[in-house]
Amino acid sequence: MKIEILFPEFCNLFGDAYNMVYLQKTLPEAEFIRTAIGDDVRFTEEKIDLVYMGPMSERVQELIIKKFKPIREKIMKAVESGTVFLFTGNALEIFGDYIENEDGSRVEALGIYRLWAKRDMMHRHNSAFEGTFEGETVMGFKTQFTMAYTPDDSLALFKKTRGVGLNPKADFEGIRFHNFFGTYLVAPILVANPPFTKYLLKLMGAENTELAFEAETVAAYEQRKKDFAQMVH
Amino acid sequence: MKRNLRFYFALMFARGTKLVLKLIGRKGTSMPGSWAIILCPDFIGRMPKPKKIIGITGTNGKTTVSNMIEDVLEDNGVSFMCNRAGTNVNTGIASALINNSKFFGKPKHDVAVFELDERSSPKLYPYMQPDMLLCTNIFRDSYKRNAHAEFILGILNKEIPKTTKLILNADDPLCCSIAPDNERVYYGIDHLSTDKNECDNIVNDMPVCPNCSGPLVHDVVRYHHIGRVHCENCGYRSPEPDYRASYVDEENGIMRVEKDGVANEYKLASTSNINIYNSLAAVAVLREAGLSDEQIQKSFEKMEITESRYSESMIGGKRVILHLTKAKNPIASSRVYEIVRNAPGKKSVIIFPYDYFDDRHSVENTAWFYDTDYEFLNDESIVQLIIGGNRHHDTYVRALLAGVPKEKIIHMQDECEASEVISDEADTVFVLHDVYTIRSANIIRDKLIAKEKEAAK
Repeated sequence: MKIEILFPEFCNLFGDAYNMVYLQKTLPEAEFIRTAIGDDVRFTEEKIDLVYMGPMSERVQELIIKKFKPIREKIMKAVESGTVFLFTGNALEIFGDYIENEDGSRVEALGIYRLWAKRDMMHRHNSAFEGTFEGETVMGFKTQFTMAYTPDDSLALFKKTRGVGLNPKADFEGIRFHNFFGTYLVAPILVANPPFTKYLLKLMGAENTELAFEAETVAAYEQRKKDFAQMVH
Repeated sequence: MKRNLRFYFALMFARGTKLVLKLIGRKGTSMPGSWAIILCPDFIGRMPKPKKIIGITGTNGKTTVSNMIEDVLEDNGVSFMCNRAGTNVNTGIASALINNSKFFGKPKHDVAVFELDERSSPKLYPYMQPDMLLCTNIFRDSYKRNAHAEFILGILNKEIPKTTKLILNADDPLCCSIAPDNERVYYGIDHLSTDKNECDNIVNDMPVCPNCSGPLVHDVVRYHHIGRVHCENCGYRSPEPDYRASYVDEENGIMRVEKDGVANEYKLASTSNINIYNSLAAVAVLREAGLSDEQIQKSFEKMEITESRYSESMIGGKRVILHLTKAKNPIASSRVYEIVRNAPGKKSVIIFPYDYFDDRHSVENTAWFYDTDYEFLNDESIVQLIIGGNRHHDTYVRALLAGVPKEKIIHMQDECEASEVISDEADTVFVLHDVYTIRSANIIRDKLIAKEKEAAK
């Protein structure tokens, strides 16, 4: 099994690098490829079982868009052929249509799916989120400068129960397009949500894999569910 | 900026607020400034300022360095104002200016020492231009406010006045890149016994050359991206420090600082690399402000670490250390975890890493746990890790992922119960607390004292 981590030297904000540390402990036999910003990506050239990219600064976001533009068609092909992607934080904006700055200027993104994000650099959004995915609870935290919008509700990933979705009016959080999973939730999502992690492992062909410290992560997940239930908004 | 009626109304209203607060016995140190800014948004700009303003900013160490500078100035009889009693944002600065002014606003002192929150720069520097500004370092901090290091760097670059002389940490490449056209002096450390060749921290906020984005070679690593670097691509190098700590006697707590070929020695309150950087920064600022080496040396002899940050006592044959560990700040917490690991003896470590306010109002975002080096707590010398607080299950998972053996960990909701389970094997107990959870740390210590008294009966 091959897992490609995109640009880990930059895309590692908000503790999210631990998504991959956790996966590495869960899949000790898997090959983890760490692709640096100056390297060519591997997922467009060979079969990769999971492509991961974490949150990054706005400058790096624009750098990656620039890097990806010449290989957009290859990326689209990888997405449409069912490669599993997990993008967390603002990484998901890279495959959207565009990112709008406060002054109305736009950073044209890859346009893999219909989504745009609006930056508000002086008003940072922080919140706790609870939703459902495949009948199971998903929890996480949002810490971001953007709100995202899509005209295509079929892209919904997590149905919102509490908190703020893609934007304050959206009743869902995150994007699912084929096997591309993009979410703003950090904490990190794979450590914090054992059912979702198991679902992803199944898609990657690692069904019935026991999670690292499964009993402990499940106990933490169950406790958090109780705490979210008591949370006042 | 000229003073107008609106300004005078705001000033008088703020003075009234201060008086009312005093009469009802409330501290409310930022409230007069808050009202002044509500009534007159450019109040700081219109308020008369002291002749010399020294600003202290940066992610970590700004409170400690500000306090050091203020203590030395006070010890030397320099008349100055500061925002020590209040906050480091615009309302705190406005309050300090009001509290230290005559009736119509004229400052009572010629010098101001202001600790300045870097995130608040857009609300400060357009209205107040420090003559000199120290930047201790730039790191990722609380995600909620500060997002990431590049965001803070961008704010500083945009807002720092061109006339301000900068005093910068030469061993922090991010810090060195601030406002490149401003006049500047650097401070740095030659060598420490704890120097490394490779970064063993999770977070490295400066993975590439600040000049050309090429690969950065770390010649010396102190912690995270702090150290000496060079770029093989463009030739960039960490700048040579003007104030150079050329030797640190860790045994006797002495630092030698060279400036223009003249060496002077200063007593250190602690030889942790953080304290050495803080002390060196304070020396550089004070020298730039015109104090003599003798004046600084004399005051440094009296320097001690504030008890709310560090205190040590012997209870029942165990060394019990209460150590401030700032919540939501992965770098500050990692520094403390490394200090704990490196401390002598067999240690029991009690942690309750939650933010008091966030914890009360919501389920707290624990993402920062994963940028914090819990891996330092996985050490043979740490015989026990006790975890408390509402997020104890999440913290437990984090510690397990750091490799801390299950059998060494005890976790519980009420951290104050930690006193009941301390291992006999430990000769040292570290109680790591946040600014707002020091009460729990004191309860744990008091319980240990009570237990010891009970046992002695």
